Amino acid sequence: MSFIINGLLLGGTYALIAVGLTLQYGVARIMNLANGENLVFACFMAFWLYTAFAINPILGIVIIAPMAFVINWLIYSYAMRPLVNRSKTSGQLEVNSILATFGLLFILKGLMKFSFGGGYFTYNYLAEGISIFGHNYGLNRVVAFIAAAVIAGTLYLFLNYTRYGTAIRAVAVNPTSASLVAINVPRASAFAFALGGALTAASGALLSSFYTFHADMGMDFTMKALVIVIMAGVGDVRGAVLAALMLGLTETAIATFVDPGLTAAGTYGLFILVLLFRPQGIFGRSNS
Amino acid sequence: MLKVDNLSVVYGAHRALQDISLYLEKGEIAVILGANGAGKTTLLKTISGLVQPQAGARISVNDQDITGMPAHKIVEAGIALVPEGRGIFGALSVAENLELGAFGKQAHKGQKQRLKLVHEIFPKLAERSSQIALTMSGGEQQMVAIGRALMSNPQFLMLDEPSLGLSPLLSADLFKSLTAIRKTGVGILLVEQNAKQSLAIADRAYLLETGNIIGQGKAADLANDPAVQKAYLGGASAK
Repeated sequence: MSFIINGLLLGGTYALIAVGLTLQYGVARIMNLANGENLVFACFMAFWLYTAFAINPILGIVIIAPMAFVINWLIYSYAMRPLVNRSKTSGQLEVNSILATFGLLFILKGLMKFSFGGGYFTYNYLAEGISIFGHNYGLNRVVAFIAAAVIAGTLYLFLNYTRYGTAIRAVAVNPTSASLVAINVPRASAFAFALGGALTAASGALLSSFYTFHADMGMDFTMKALVIVIMAGVGDVRGAVLAALMLGLTETAIATFVDPGLTAAGTYGLFILVLLFRPQGIFGRSNS
Repeated sequence: MLKVDNLSVVYGAHRALQDISLYLEKGEIAVILGANGAGKTTLLKTISGLVQPQAGARISVNDQDITGMPAHKIVEAGIALVPEGRGIFGALSVAENLELGAFGKQAHKGQKQRLKLVHEIFPKLAERSSQIALTMSGGEQQMVAIGRALMSNPQFLMLDEPSLGLSPLLSADLFKSLTAIRKTGVGILLVEQNAKQSLAIADRAYLLETGNIIGQGKAADLANDPAVQKAYLGGASAK
């Protein structure tokens, strides 16, 4: 029973990074392999804000997420837009963006290693127990989960019940038609890319409150997010949240009942099964 | 008035349009007839800003030069396109598709009245408001596409083969709704393969062949022109 709650708590943090990636890939059409670096950057920022200024990571999001938004806006405008303008087909853009962001990943990782070193970092925030249904869980994990749920819920409301949110979804469905209803597609793409980075950074700030982090771990989280996004169907925010919870549950179940060393194998096993049998994603419509 | 002068478009080495000039008044329907590959779709795409013309072209709306503007600015200038294949947002609901039609700032004022007007012209869209657009029939999707374009408060509406894939009955309905739209004062530029039905509702027509305008005139005159009948009306004399 307790593995279910542990799995959901873990999945909640995965959900934000996956939603971030699905916005970048689904709307801005950039498969951002450097997205995990947003998360690592946010971990270090949260650590620094907490240890140097006693600003807790939840409050820290208010500083970190806007910073990530601006940085990602600049990355899109200066590093990605030339690729978008040059690529004649979406397939070409996909290949170019994968190669470019793969390079970006090493630049960002190098910068963080240079700034923070290669060591492992952790700090104590709400490191106490809380009892749920008779079992004890880390309070920081529970708080992080609740914060993630609030952020994901807010995003859902924005995307579904505001004019600009609907426009963002329209760009994901059909960019050409979006420009025919007066949507400034290049700007909406930059916005979605920046928002995706900000959400991923928010998940990093939350993760850092209970997770030992280091400058090298970005790629692990990018891959998890990628698995979730493919499982959910590209651009599907609600699906990404559900798939993230599923992945959290799967990982926790394997770690609890089989062996912690096999969690990654389980993740990619699930990934391959989805690719083989539901290439459009578990929740994705075929050929939409 | 929508005015196009000396419009040429080149795709690589292929010249798709050659020195096209045409105009469209408010409240009239002009139809562009031509075979596949004549350049009809390219013409509408270029006016909409999806394709850039060669230097020397001039496209204007009420004397405002819109040549070379990005597509989203041209919508704001008052030109809406219902693209070939409809281009609706399939994963979104009918209501969301219509709401997005009014996304540009030119369409914010009077959005509610226009939605009412669209629902009057296409009552089905009011009934199916919350339905996901992708799950509708072809004719209904065409209504969504036209309704969405009308929501942008256009002075000029361009449609690229709207009757394609519709049954004769549905296309008759479609042409009827176009005359209803004309009554609201919107100018309509229609690209069609269905020459008979489109000439029947149009005021004027242009004949486009391999990128050139080879003829133009009143729709009624062209409908009775033996050469036009031979080329576009299947040779059957429509007396």
